[in-house]
Amino acid sequence: MKNEGIYPNMLFPTTNDIHDEALIEHFRAGMGHKLLAITPSFPFFFIGKIRDVVEDHVVVDVETVPNQELENRRWYIHVHNIELFFIEREEGPKIPELNDEIF
Amino acid sequence: MKRYYHVVAIPIRIVLNNFGNYNPDGMMYVLKENESKVKELVRKNPFTPVDLVQPLVIRANEGDTVEILFENKLPFATGMHFQDVDYDVMDSDGANVGFNDSTLVDYGEKIVYRFQAHHQGAFHFGDLGNPSSTEKGSNVNGLFGCLFVQPRGSWWTDPVTGKPMNSGVFADIHHPFLPDRREYAWIFHDEMPTLDLTGNPPLNPITNQPGESTHAVNYRYEPVENRVRLIEEGVVCPDCDGEEVHHDSWVFGDPATPILRGYVGDPAVIRVVHGGVKETHVFHYHVHQWFRDNTNPESEIIDSQSISPQSWYDVEPLYGLGSLHGAIGDAIIHCHLYPHFAVGMWGINRVFNTFQDGSQCYPNGVPIKALQPLRDRPVPPKPTKEKPGYPNFIPGKVGFKAPRPPLGIIGGRNMTELERNAAVPNPRPGAVFADPCGNVENPPVVEYNISLIELPIIYNRQGWHDPKGRIYVLDEDLDDICSGKKEPEPLVIHAPAGSCLRVNFTNRLPSIADGDAFQLVTRTYEVGMHIHYVKFDVLVNDGANVGWNYDSSVLPGETIRYEYFADTELKAWFFHDHLFANYHQQHGVFGAGVIHSRFSKFFDSKTGEQKLHGTQLTGQHPFIPDYRDFTLMVQDFSLIYDKEGRPLNPPQFPGSEDDPGLFGVNYRNEPLQFRLEHDCDPAYSFSSYVNGDPVTPILHAYEEDTLRIRLLQGAHEESHSFNLHGLKWKEQRPDIESRFISQTHIGISESFTLETHLPQSGDYLWTFETEEDLWNGLWGLIRAYDEEVDFLIPLPDKEAPPKRTKPLPNCTGEPPEKAKVVNPPLNAPANAPVKKFDIVAFHTPITYSKWGEHDPFGIVFALRKDMDDILSGRKNPEPLIIRANRGDIVEVSLTSYLEFEKFPFQDGIWPYPPVKEQAFYPPSVRISLHSQLISYDVKTSAGETVGFNFDQSAGPGETVHYKWFVDLPLGACGLWDMTDIRNHRSLGTFGMFIAEPRGATFLDPYTLKPVTTGNHVIIRQPFLPDIREFGIVMYDGARLVDKQEQLIVDPIAGFLLPGEDEEGDENPEVDTYDFGSRGFNYRTERLINRLYENADLEKLFSSKTHGDPSTPVFESYAGDPIIIRLVNPSERRRSHTFHLHNHYWNIDENEITSQVKSFVGEMVAGKAVDLPLHYGAGGFYEYPGDYLYRSGNIRWDIEQGMWGIMRVHSERKRHLPPLNYGKRD
Repeated sequence: MKNEGIYPNMLFPTTNDIHDEALIEHFRAGMGHKLLAITPSFPFFFIGKIRDVVEDHVVVDVETVPNQELENRRWYIHVHNIELFFIEREEGPKIPELNDEIF
Repeated sequence: MKRYYHVVAIPIRIVLNNFGNYNPDGMMYVLKENESKVKELVRKNPFTPVDLVQPLVIRANEGDTVEILFENKLPFATGMHFQDVDYDVMDSDGANVGFNDSTLVDYGEKIVYRFQAHHQGAFHFGDLGNPSSTEKGSNVNGLFGCLFVQPRGSWWTDPVTGKPMNSGVFADIHHPFLPDRREYAWIFHDEMPTLDLTGNPPLNPITNQPGESTHAVNYRYEPVENRVRLIEEGVVCPDCDGEEVHHDSWVFGDPATPILRGYVGDPAVIRVVHGGVKETHVFHYHVHQWFRDNTNPESEIIDSQSISPQSWYDVEPLYGLGSLHGAIGDAIIHCHLYPHFAVGMWGINRVFNTFQDGSQCYPNGVPIKALQPLRDRPVPPKPTKEKPGYPNFIPGKVGFKAPRPPLGIIGGRNMTELERNAAVPNPRPGAVFADPCGNVENPPVVEYNISLIELPIIYNRQGWHDPKGRIYVLDEDLDDICSGKKEPEPLVIHAPAGSCLRVNFTNRLPSIADGDAFQLVTRTYEVGMHIHYVKFDVLVNDGANVGWNYDSSVLPGETIRYEYFADTELKAWFFHDHLFANYHQQHGVFGAGVIHSRFSKFFDSKTGEQKLHGTQLTGQHPFIPDYRDFTLMVQDFSLIYDKEGRPLNPPQFPGSEDDPGLFGVNYRNEPLQFRLEHDCDPAYSFSSYVNGDPVTPILHAYEEDTLRIRLLQGAHEESHSFNLHGLKWKEQRPDIESRFISQTHIGISESFTLETHLPQSGDYLWTFETEEDLWNGLWGLIRAYDEEVDFLIPLPDKEAPPKRTKPLPNCTGEPPEKAKVVNPPLNAPANAPVKKFDIVAFHTPITYSKWGEHDPFGIVFALRKDMDDILSGRKNPEPLIIRANRGDIVEVSLTSYLEFEKFPFQDGIWPYPPVKEQAFYPPSVRISLHSQLISYDVKTSAGETVGFNFDQSAGPGETVHYKWFVDLPLGACGLWDMTDIRNHRSLGTFGMFIAEPRGATFLDPYTLKPVTTGNHVIIRQPFLPDIREFGIVMYDGARLVDKQEQLIVDPIAGFLLPGEDEEGDENPEVDTYDFGSRGFNYRTERLINRLYENADLEKLFSSKTHGDPSTPVFESYAGDPIIIRLVNPSERRRSHTFHLHNHYWNIDENEITSQVKSFVGEMVAGKAVDLPLHYGAGGFYEYPGDYLYRSGNIRWDIEQGMWGIMRVHSERKRHLPPLNYGKRD
């Protein structure tokens, strides 16, 4: 698609658009599955079930983060803030169970 | 904005506390508007502290221009030198340096200083007109103050009246869009001459000997010795002993020292400044934590921090006053060095939970001053009869010890009605008025049963022992430790973040501690367990007895429940007793907890069983690489005896705080005097082949393991310098941009986690590197195995190591084989460029100054090509400085030309500078060269013969080869010899290696020819402008003689204006580690020589009068990019501050968000820093002139010659080509 605006030579969708869309689709396909997402900002990682994808935000029913205070609630995580992720599926490896049991 | 202050320097009587201790010859800066008022108040109140007699604190905003009209009313030329601001050195330096115009003024004269503040902070100002260290000097008598620079747009009001203010130590800071905050000045200072109410030197009422030197905050100190007198006289608390109630306001009322008042949750900043002259203190603040660097939120979270003279930092407590859990009450703030604490260097942060309008009183009837709420915070509730607020719900009795807390003591009392009204909804033992674990639903609970016991502790194989060791133990280990089945070590407990910790603490100590050569009989009848870092209810759970809080200790046989919460991974935290700490912490009353990442588990490294305590564990985590977890706790003032029961380094009289005893790590030491097995050669003192393994901790791991070393100091007063040889770690562990270091200064209660990994097998030396520490046994090993051993499990996430194919090495009594260098060295690509250095070590006289000070017995490292010039006298040696670039392999050939007959003390007793526990240790004729930070195989190229590594030293005529790899542009790295720390280092066996960026070449600044060594070079790179590089090697502990070949006993020989101190002594107390001469780059410029030539103090730093100093004069042109490489590879334990006038830099050269400062604190053995100057030579305005670089220690560095000049030219000089000259060619 040719853009008629201030960047007339730019073609849309851009590579970034395609990249983001693929990510969104991938998360959408993972709805109902368990997600491990690592982010560069606090609280740094999330484990929980993907509930929905709203535009480019992944909606996660978070079970585990590093701090108990932030667990068991719904988080909206922007795909740009996810540096690394893994969606657990039946055939693949399992996300480790993290619990507070000391022994 | 432009701000004006009219400041006057005046003589003033300073009354330091309500007991009438005073300094009759005090000096202070004061605003002109307060001058007559303060004089009148002091005249009317000769025996009580006057509020206006406090260090001058003035304020400005970032970007402001400040104009100071300075007026001198002191009988010598003086001025105001400001740190960290930008000014013209010709008119506003507050000094008289080099060829500058003097900006000091005589009595009765005035001068205007103008400067701009371009960054925020707490900038020290002080006098440089009278740098004498004695009681006749200016700084020691109080002539210092601070400029606090706020965010742009700020204004400030008085916290009591709410009105605008021009000066004062406490203010409320307001801003259009930043939160309001409390601002408190906490200005440490030491050694102020002090008399008691009768005009005599204060005596300690227990020993009847002269008291300790004054250690104060904001011209106030509150020593235990005054308060004890009230007990002795039966005025208060007849059943008390003394130390346990030192901080108890129920007994004595509030102290004269600062009380930092606020409401719970208030944002706050404590501006911590060192205005004193000598000691490095440790600021500790109960209940609260802060970022080590408050401009870098990725820096470490800490709760104790060292500070050396003329330096500063900001403490911004996370979550505001009362911390995360809203703890109300009195949080004590103190210097953690116990003798300083005891002598009065403490105050209180008082956190109220009810509104104070001035109508309330403390329990003793003293009115509570009004406290304005911050504008953007809710007004706290008014006190009511049912809920009177802190401290008026506590059922104490004035004149008696604070009450015990409700609920906590097993078998103790319940709450009163007022307490119940003040309590949290679910009060329980250890959590009554704040709920530390309440932020989390059902957190995991970890419970420990801990007792404090007394038992003998043996420190080494020679039978050095403490017959009255006192240690924390887990109750389940009590029998094994008391029966000798388990060796005593500091108790280290472990838990994952997010845990609620419960400790049942039992006092099993005898209630009387007997007298001996070190100490007098003391009734240590109650003790506690005070903790750092974690969250807790300070009123009932502090393990202390502070202000109007409860006394949360227990009597013998009693048990108390403490509760803490670790809200995040807090690394290692310190615990100790707070009731009789000054009496018995040095006996071993300390331990640590380690809070690991949540979901971590810990295993015994030998058996693999899960475990929650120990100094060596294996940590495992589902995401984070598994690691070895080691804890080292250093200690001094260890009161130990030899095998025959003779006290080691006893004080002159029992009860003296004058540096008694020796040292330990984890209750062990390995003195070098006992490690002379092979031909009495110190070169093999660290060799396990020759002398066996040390009894100090050997930290076991496999090669390529990740390590977390928890470094803490358990006792008691000294600074130490931890060095890890062959390894490095990130200075700020959470910040990946942080620089690498391999050394850290540590003071008591500080805590560091050093995360590193073992690149390959071998023995890595850890040391507390200053001479006296190392000599007395503060060192050990990290042993990395390449093959399986049966006492160490592999890390759970790593493959098992190969099966053992060769036996472990044993002590043979013989030196190991000579090292064969590995080719290529560790991490180096095979085709890396190779840089070769042919280095020789030899004896040569060194001329230290133009005044004739010299070392006739010097030993230097030099390039072989320079050896003849040095020996023939054509070249006066300088410390060897060599450079290589990132990616280079460095091949060093080191040849020894040492001769036994050329050493000054061939009988094996090195008398000066002295160390504690002198012993036979003959000079070694072997030599080695150890480098910090860069990469090498420790078995062959560490430049030291350690553990079961190969011999890496060279005997006379021998050459040893090392291969290093410059894996990163690490900048300054210290270089030093490790064959004989007693007979070599004072003579000059040190230098600097600089790991430069890739592509750099080095030019002589005068000839522009390529050079391989030198302290001033131009760094030329293909893509960057030229940079001038100044290499500064700070040293101390030198043994110099004068023109008449007479030994110079510094610091005493260098005193300006000597006189008698308050005790009538001509020479004040000089610790072993203060002895020796000092300066930069084998040069010194002792001011005493200048004073003999011209008695005018004002001209001491003037080149017009005295010519340039002997120390390096570093030349440049205004605006030249400059990087300073600064190391201290020498030996004494006294920390120095380095300061450069009118220039500043990021404190971490790799981290652009790091703080900007004009000084480097805690310069001690092994410190290495890189200082890229902001804006280059001449600072922000590129003003030409002479800029002083110097120590910040008035006592005893500056007058002893630790200063020099950075000269910035305005016009082209024939001898100095400009930067980039001829570059295009």
